[in-house]
Amino acid sequence: MSALHPFSLLAIAAALPAFAWILPAPGGGLATATLALVLALVPDVRAGARVVRVAVLTAAPFWLFLLLLHDLPTTVAMGLRITTMVASFAWLVAALPPDRLVEAMVARGWSLTLAYLFAATLSAVPVLKARARRIVEAQRCRGLSPRGSVANRLRALRALALPLVLSALHEVDERALALETRGMGSGVHRTPLAAPPDRPLERAARWALLLLCLAAVIWRLA
Amino acid sequence: MALSRALAFDGVAFSYGNVAALSDVSFEVAAGERVALLGRNGAGKSTIVRLVTGLVHPDAGSVWIGDWDTADLAPEDLARRVGSVFQHADQQLFARTLREDVGFGPRALGFPAREVRRRTDEALDALDLHAHAEQHPYDLSPALRKVGALAGALALEPSLLVLDEPTAGLDRAWRARVADALREHAERGAALLVVTHDLAFAAETLERGIVLDRGRLACDEPLERLLTSAERLKPLGLVPPPIAALSVALDLPGRPVRERDAAHTLARVAGGRSAS
Ligand SMILES: Nc1ncnc2c1ncn2[C@@H]1O[C@H](COP(=O)(O)OP(=O)(O)OP(=O)(O)O)[C@@H](O)[C@H]1O
Ligand SMILES: [Mg+2]
Repeated sequence: MSALHPFSLLAIAAALPAFAWILPAPGGGLATATLALVLALVPDVRAGARVVRVAVLTAAPFWLFLLLLHDLPTTVAMGLRITTMVASFAWLVAALPPDRLVEAMVARGWSLTLAYLFAATLSAVPVLKARARRIVEAQRCRGLSPRGSVANRLRALRALALPLVLSALHEVDERALALETRGMGSGVHRTPLAAPPDRPLERAARWALLLLCLAAVIWRLA
Repeated sequence: MALSRALAFDGVAFSYGNVAALSDVSFEVAAGERVALLGRNGAGKSTIVRLVTGLVHPDAGSVWIGDWDTADLAPEDLARRVGSVFQHADQQLFARTLREDVGFGPRALGFPAREVRRRTDEALDALDLHAHAEQHPYDLSPALRKVGALAGALALEPSLLVLDEPTAGLDRAWRARVADALREHAERGAALLVVTHDLAFAAETLERGIVLDRGRLACDEPLERLLTSAERLKPLGLVPPPIAALSVALDLPGRPVRERDAAHTLARVAGGRSAS
């Protein structure tokens, strides 16, 4: 799977949620959500199982809220769509090393800054996870109990969320500064050393995917 | 007596998966004692801090905080006795003002508002942070945020304070303030366990050195003795601080390692010479 060109991976990760919203519910959503989860399991079942777990855990609260706010058919329809989005993104993060994406984008003439921004979003996930763990640990050592009552849990969430967001924002600032001082954004075209190869077949498949999406939209509107 | 023992490691082993981080570590720290925990990168210092705070539990042996066995306790329980500052403490502050953040620990432990205020004020006082008390934590530099985190630990009024690299990134003035606050806290009966690569800071502030080497206890003795013995420090990846090196080079009587002691001794030696 990781032998595919980064753009092909991106195209798949974008097409699945698009189809989830375009195709009639709940069959469409069921198909795309299943496909996204199967996709994660294909190359390596053990690593894939981890991706699936992350996707399911992330999607679960959405299902809960939907169920509280809507009736069952709406919940299933929306829930499957959201699950597709979450699972596609989780799969993309696992399958696409950010540095390969940057190389592919720059080789295609994208601005380095834009490519970096894109990749930074993907690569920030594990860093944020490690930081979240450290913050929760530090707050527990100050007497915060993440167990017990709802009020306790809410307090714990606040003690985690705020420093996490603040320190992430802070880092974005510092990165921007570091990029500028290294001459990024000066508009010079660069040629990457190892641009990932892009096969004509893959390129054709990506166009086909886009056309298929458009066809589905037209079919639904007609 | 259980009360005078603030911390004890008894035959402790710990590994992360199959990476052994500590094996057969035993030592005790008495109330009021000031201990430096030294050793090269990866020696196992932070793992000791995690064990003391209850974030991890030993695979073998036991860790005692006073008469509490950490085996059955969670970090939030141990917070009643242990105050801690971690390597990444600058990332933990979250309240709108530094003052509110410093008071977070006592509030989480359920102390009444007046007691929370008293402890917060005293902790801010001890570190001379009143000027920054109403600022947002993220308006402070990371190094100052770490001092803020230390104030938060002091506000717990712990009988044991464990600190992981408390002086990294601090200038001389702030280092001196931290040193004063720590000594004061120890004088009131608290034990200190301080992980540091800053041997000059250790010499000025602490009295006993425990050195870890690849997860094992390599030595445990008074800092004066340890820091003036370059041939023993070197294989442990440590370099004697300037004052200690000077007092060895000049063969000063008593081999002082603190600035003030060295100055005294030098003055005495020089005075003796001019008199003769
Ligand atoms: N979460 C972890 N997973 C696996 N191994 C770990 C983990 N944390 C630490 N280790 C390993 O355990 C050993 C001891 O690590 P520890 O962090 O206690 O060292 P340290 O003395 O604090 O080092 P430093 O001076 O770099 O902070 C090292 O070999 C380290 O690689
Ligand atoms: Mg460490």
